[in-house]
Amino acid sequence: MIALRSRSVFPLTVAAVALLFLGLFLLYPVIAVFHVSFLDKTGAFTLDNYVRILGRSFYQQSLWNSLGIGALATLAATAVGVPLAFCLARLPVPGKSAILVLAALPLVLPSFVGAYALVLLFGRAGIVTHALQSLGLPTGSIYGTPGLVWVYTLTLYPYVLLPTLAAFKAVDVSIEEAGQNLGASRWRVFWTVILPVVIPSVLSGALLVFMETLENFGVPFVLAEDKPILAVEAYKLFVGEVAANSASAGVLATLLVACTTAALLLQRYYLGRRRFATGARTAPPELRVGHGLRWLATAFSWGVALAALLPFLTVLAIAFLEYRGPVLHPNLSLGNFADLWHRSSRPLVNTVTLATSAALGAALLGVPVGYVLTRFRSGLSSILDVVAMMPFAIAGTVLGIGLVVAFNSGPLVLTGTPVIMVIAYMVRKLPFNVRASSAILHQLDPSLEEASINLGVSPVRTFVQLTVPLMLGGIVGGMVLTWVTVASELSSTVILYSGPWATMTVVMFEALEGTGAGIAAAAAAVLILATALPLLLVYRLLRRYELAMT
Amino acid sequence: MTAISIEGVEKRFGTVTAVAAISLAVNDGEFFTLLGPSGCGKTTLLRMVAGFADLDAGAIRFGERRIDRLPPHRRNTGMVFQNYAVFPNLTVAGNVAYGLRARGVAPAAIVERVARALALVRLDGFGERWPHQLSGGQLQRVAIARALVIEPEVLLLDEPLSNLDAKLRVEMRGEIRQLQQALGITALYVTHDQEEALAISDRIAVMRAGSLEQIGPPAEIYSRPATAFVAEFMGVTNLLTGTVLGNAGGRLRIGVGGIELVAHGRGVAKDSRVSLSLRPETLRLLRPGEAEPARWSRIEAVVGRIELLGATTRVECVAAGDVTLRLVFLDLVPGAVVPGASVALTYDPDRVAVFPAA
Repeated sequence: MIALRSRSVFPLTVAAVALLFLGLFLLYPVIAVFHVSFLDKTGAFTLDNYVRILGRSFYQQSLWNSLGIGALATLAATAVGVPLAFCLARLPVPGKSAILVLAALPLVLPSFVGAYALVLLFGRAGIVTHALQSLGLPTGSIYGTPGLVWVYTLTLYPYVLLPTLAAFKAVDVSIEEAGQNLGASRWRVFWTVILPVVIPSVLSGALLVFMETLENFGVPFVLAEDKPILAVEAYKLFVGEVAANSASAGVLATLLVACTTAALLLQRYYLGRRRFATGARTAPPELRVGHGLRWLATAFSWGVALAALLPFLTVLAIAFLEYRGPVLHPNLSLGNFADLWHRSSRPLVNTVTLATSAALGAALLGVPVGYVLTRFRSGLSSILDVVAMMPFAIAGTVLGIGLVVAFNSGPLVLTGTPVIMVIAYMVRKLPFNVRASSAILHQLDPSLEEASINLGVSPVRTFVQLTVPLMLGGIVGGMVLTWVTVASELSSTVILYSGPWATMTVVMFEALEGTGAGIAAAAAAVLILATALPLLLVYRLLRRYELAMT
Repeated sequence: MTAISIEGVEKRFGTVTAVAAISLAVNDGEFFTLLGPSGCGKTTLLRMVAGFADLDAGAIRFGERRIDRLPPHRRNTGMVFQNYAVFPNLTVAGNVAYGLRARGVAPAAIVERVARALALVRLDGFGERWPHQLSGGQLQRVAIARALVIEPEVLLLDEPLSNLDAKLRVEMRGEIRQLQQALGITALYVTHDQEEALAISDRIAVMRAGSLEQIGPPAEIYSRPATAFVAEFMGVTNLLTGTVLGNAGGRLRIGVGGIELVAHGRGVAKDSRVSLSLRPETLRLLRPGEAEPARWSRIEAVVGRIELLGATTRVECVAAGDVTLRLVFLDLVPGAVVPGASVALTYDPDRVAVFPAA
């Protein structure tokens, strides 16, 4: 226990700053969205917006599509992630650590670039489609449900893989041996003992997948075509090519928040507590299996890891080929990059500036919050805990709309400034920074800090001079992850950016809508490199905290 | 170097009372140990002195100065933690210098004082090493040097030996005691290990469920326990319950099962229920035909189980009325002592501790 009276200034200050920040830039905007959805044109209260929007089958369809495609993708990601986790935990698959490095990448690579790659390959004018057509073979459409489920599965399966892998490794081998000793076959032990023990981890990862699909904006924007999807329709209504309609957008945004919040609550408060700890000191040994199974497991593990990265590699390759108008020619060329650069180098600078500011800001706010949550238990810290996790439940689209609505007028006008973009990123990445820093703190004995205080260094100075250096590896890791995910952020960026502050993702987004296929590919390649390289550089730092992400 | 006075100190965690109105005084230069099972409040009490736990009531003074409202970093105590808490990001010298830097001591003086402190704990030349290169015992010495170098008013030790192996534990406790004596510093020591407490302390306070059971020098705590709890906690004993049959000027006759025991005690009424503690080593076996020493008492019994424990042998004897008495022999048991044999035991009534029935 910590002496709250004598040391309460620090946690109170941190909690106050964090609650103020999130209250102003998360709660207030979200409430503003709710508020707008209940107003008519004169500003009076009405339920008309809901009646009107929900009465249209197009928007009803968008809700069912989002939920249905999310459910399918969740099932598929689970079907891929669980066997893969088992292969990596218990079967003799060569190159496991390499697979793990590769498998963690899709989580941070921009998923809409993956979707774009699919279009480049299998789309109407796709390379593979062309090739098949020229051979006179039939081609199916990847637009709509099949493409969305495919992309979601391959980019989100690590959410299931990582916790499930940890759970498989945490199964004490003696409970397996006990099962066998009591007369159960290996197969029976797997179904009756091991699987039930890991199920809570699987479900909790699966719900994260589901939430991500609901929130995702870029992938359906690229692949859904005329299939309505909640996050995309909310955006379209809000920016409205004909007439912007924030009330209608607010209705869809409210629906989206309701769905994601339900999923988050289920994940946190039901599954988060249903963990069976079996207290394994060492991971259970690899099973001895025959050659056939071994090959199968190896092919499957490497196959999944590579298939998930293939779209990104494709985009990288295509970016270095020559485009003449929309037609691709098989000549090596840096022309796409030259075009991208000549158009403007500003977006790249913007991306770097904004991502760096956001990474610094999120760490500056998130690390002290993580510290207070881990080291000071009080009523205030449980409120802080709930509020700091809320950004998880708010889709980028919703946050973007909310920030615009809230800071469009009044005493604090931020709409159109880069500040509002940085704020949106900080809010969205805060939960990750908080959890990453509390994960490290759980490994740091509190008596280290007490020893420092006992030796005459005040709590605040102890935090700065001892705790932060000890947490540094994790803090840097968290900042790099924040940086790369911000660099590829699309959903709130497209709503919040103003002309001169367009980012690389915006360039890609615009190129997708227009003609510049070559420029889009080059922009996508830059994004891939900008996210993958820093990650691989600090991979050692990150590995210890990869589970903090889920 | 300061006396510590703890006055009516209380601490509650929710509905649980961790420390219930405890008062005690530690003399200047004394080695004082808080002893008790886990959860008895001893660590909480130590942490209140260090400033890591708040008081719900009462006061703590160093000398005349009240310190319980001071923030922990202003109390000038040197604390040694159970897990050493040596900063992994600093060298040995950096660890020892940490508190001096916080006090703004001049760099040249720091170097000199660090060297002296390291010499004191026999770690000369270890200054540039990193904590991960040290053994548990060496880490413990770093922690002690780091606490002593700031010349604290009191030294606080929170189970400092519990992470060491048995042999090192015995060695280190000797060193800690020696250092404390040489420096004349007031030390408050927390442990759950009664042997450690007996070996190291000037005085011991035995705690149970947030309250004090007994305070006294080791010998008194061991041989004249004030309660049944203290008697059992301080080591193996024969704890018996009986009724006072007679009290002749402090000489009590107590009926236990089918036998009568003699003990000394004041203020014990006839017919009252009492508990008594008879340490195994105070019981002696009489050779056949041997008479008991003058003023000693005698018990007839039958030998039951015999356990060889290595250096000692424990013999269980059963007296009339199923009263089991354990004896300890430091040497081999005489050949006549076999299960089922009739034997005569004797003891000094002065060494029987009597207290109200538990």
